[in-house]
Amino acid sequence: MECPMTLPTKVGNVPLNFLSCSIGLNSSRFFSSTHLISASSSWSLCSLTYSFPEKNSSRHLVPVHSTSSSEAGVESNSETSEWAIQDFYALRKEVEATSERVKEIMASAGLEQLEAERDSLDKKSADSSLWDDPSKAQEIMVALTDVKDKIKTLKDFMTQIEEAETIVTLTEELESTDTSLLQEALTTIRRLNKGLNQYEMTQLLSGPYDKEGAVINISAGAGGTDAQDWADMLLRMYVRWGEKQRYKVKVTEKSLGEEAGIKSATIEVEGRYAYGYLSGEKGTHRIVRQSPFNSKGLRQTSFAGVEVMPLLPESTDLDIPEQDLEITTSRAGGSGGQNVNKVETAVRIVHIPTGVTVRCTEERSQLANKTKALIRLKAKLLVIAEEQRASEIKQIRGDAVKAEWGQQIRNYVFHPYKLVKDLRTSEETSNIAAVMEGELDPFIRAYLAHKFTTARSEASIV
Amino acid sequence: MLSRFSSPSLSLPLPFRHSLKPFSSLSLSPIQPNSSPPPSLSSSPPLFLRPLSHSTSLSSLLSFHHWAKAQALSVPSLSSDLLRQLSWFLQDTTSPHPSQPSTVLLRTELDNLYTLWRERVEQRKPFQYIVGCEHWRELVLVVQEGVLIPRPETEILVDLVQEVEGFGDGVWVDLGTGSGALAVAIGKLMDGESKGRVLGTDVSPVAVEVARFNVQRYGLEGKVEIRQGAWFEPLEDMKGKIAGIVSNPPYIPTSDLPGLQPEVGWYEPKLALDGGKDGIDHLLSICEGLSVALKPGGFFAFETNGDKQSELLANHLSTEYRSLFQKVKMVSDYSGIKRFVTGYRL
Repeated sequence: MECPMTLPTKVGNVPLNFLSCSIGLNSSRFFSSTHLISASSSWSLCSLTYSFPEKNSSRHLVPVHSTSSSEAGVESNSETSEWAIQDFYALRKEVEATSERVKEIMASAGLEQLEAERDSLDKKSADSSLWDDPSKAQEIMVALTDVKDKIKTLKDFMTQIEEAETIVTLTEELESTDTSLLQEALTTIRRLNKGLNQYEMTQLLSGPYDKEGAVINISAGAGGTDAQDWADMLLRMYVRWGEKQRYKVKVTEKSLGEEAGIKSATIEVEGRYAYGYLSGEKGTHRIVRQSPFNSKGLRQTSFAGVEVMPLLPESTDLDIPEQDLEITTSRAGGSGGQNVNKVETAVRIVHIPTGVTVRCTEERSQLANKTKALIRLKAKLLVIAEEQRASEIKQIRGDAVKAEWGQQIRNYVFHPYKLVKDLRTSEETSNIAAVMEGELDPFIRAYLAHKFTTARSEASIV
Repeated sequence: MLSRFSSPSLSLPLPFRHSLKPFSSLSLSPIQPNSSPPPSLSSSPPLFLRPLSHSTSLSSLLSFHHWAKAQALSVPSLSSDLLRQLSWFLQDTTSPHPSQPSTVLLRTELDNLYTLWRERVEQRKPFQYIVGCEHWRELVLVVQEGVLIPRPETEILVDLVQEVEGFGDGVWVDLGTGSGALAVAIGKLMDGESKGRVLGTDVSPVAVEVARFNVQRYGLEGKVEIRQGAWFEPLEDMKGKIAGIVSNPPYIPTSDLPGLQPEVGWYEPKLALDGGKDGIDHLLSICEGLSVALKPGGFFAFETNGDKQSELLANHLSTEYRSLFQKVKMVSDYSGIKRFVTGYRL
């Protein structure tokens, strides 16, 4: 069903974040109208926010029989009374649509269950022996706040939709067009839809690390110089994407290929939810094109691997026993020590039980590289543990690790036709130039929705 | 000179004495740097500490960057390294202007940036001497010509010290402290209230000045003292009271010196590198003074030139001095080379 209130894609000079999109019945219900995420909500995606100026909403509704405004401020012409009625019908339609949304969300959220959970946590928090175990206590307090917030949000949704519905009903029954009331209903509905969007987004991004920033590691795969150039193109793509989202993007490491391109690179994307959005980029990306590095200009296929880890703070609580780690540095100098002046002090850490490896080379001292590598290793292990539903690092299945991180996820064809296709969601576009410029949002959205539906169906089977 | 600490029953050979050979005596080094003593730190601060009192336009700096990148790429075997060093070079010498986006603040004239980068690429002057500092462990140490640039391997010595029970309460010694790296790092680990102290010794007056500067930079004057003199010479008053001794003494065999990487061989002080015929002269000398200097139960850890030297030293300590030391073992660095020999005095 088309939303009649289509909003502009740009307000002033500020580009909207990628969450604004138009709807269609065939697309998932998650993004059912064009709206912006408000900056004021507690789930604000801070780098992506732009607060929607309320005054724009008066575009369609022109005050006609306004009882409060003065003559001077009111625009009136012979066509306005018709206009107002058309807009009322549009408003009513939107209220109905939003009401459906709220009903769905309330059904899937299980308000009763949440209230029961809150009551049980409340009881636990009142227990005098709670703070005997400070970390457990902290967990309980955080969970309690979270569930209380969620309940409040859901109840707010109900209040808001009831408000709007009441106004619509009143208008119908009283057969008057009090445009200031209708204005209020419109505002309420808009705010409500924004809230619903955000709620649905947080449902999708509910993994334990989704809120964090991200570290992307790109490495050239099979294909020689062409693959190295491809890796460089991916590097540019992700940097552009990050910049468009207004994240703080830093290329912390780049290892140049001999002839062209890069062997590997690491990008740090700082900002809320960067990991949630980028985690679906993990895997092998395949390019098909007429290679500029092939002497006969033949069509060539090359691969590059992308790894994504959350950008965890240094204080991350995870102790890995030293004997499980193999720490090495490059032996460039042969004898090392006093024989060599080494400015590069890269450190490579292998987690022996799982084979998970990290390398850090961008810091200026060996200890700093070691510390950072350890943090990245922990992040990687935590993510893998979460994916494998392992409750402890000890339980990670090492054999499954390699397979997961190497799966082919997306094809980018430049020749003989232009197409980018995601193998997991079937999302595709022929505008490959835009994709290489960082237009990844349709793919990210599709993957998040796909992840959610998969999880939902798994849960319902259980 | 170790004779001060020699006990009458042991006849000790005089340690190998070597004088600081002027650069020109090394036939393979084509560069003849000036042989006058390096400038004192107070009169001429290291580049990375100089005030941002110069400036240039952003476009001029970008031109420099463009040129410098090309210079780096002209040496394919070193280009990756040089590009990284270039970004650190700019990190250390420039800063954006707080209010004028098209202006960049510099710690030296733009012309000098060109000169310095040329010195790096064409003349292989060590990056650390150019910016005047070395990032080592969590520290930023001032270094200059006349002082050995701390090596990443040596970072591990501090970890080994930390593992010694009760290390924070004793007097620790860093023999041949150079820039003061080990002394400062160990001093930092000690609790301000504890009895722990560090003494660093070095025969070179340049090293002593730089080490003292670094101690001061980290506010450790109350914990770390630098004394000038060779090895145990300035520690007469501490005989038998030392809880632990660490050292990264010169350990390169004399014959290896001409073949070293230019950044090392042409610029770093031979005094800090030359270990005599097999490279172990200083290590052996230190071992001889060890038992008298250390208190019972005292710890020692030395860095060596690798597998052969470590094995020789460990063997030497376990046999010749069997009755004096225990728990002698070798520890590898992150490249898998047996880099350190550690143990305890009985």
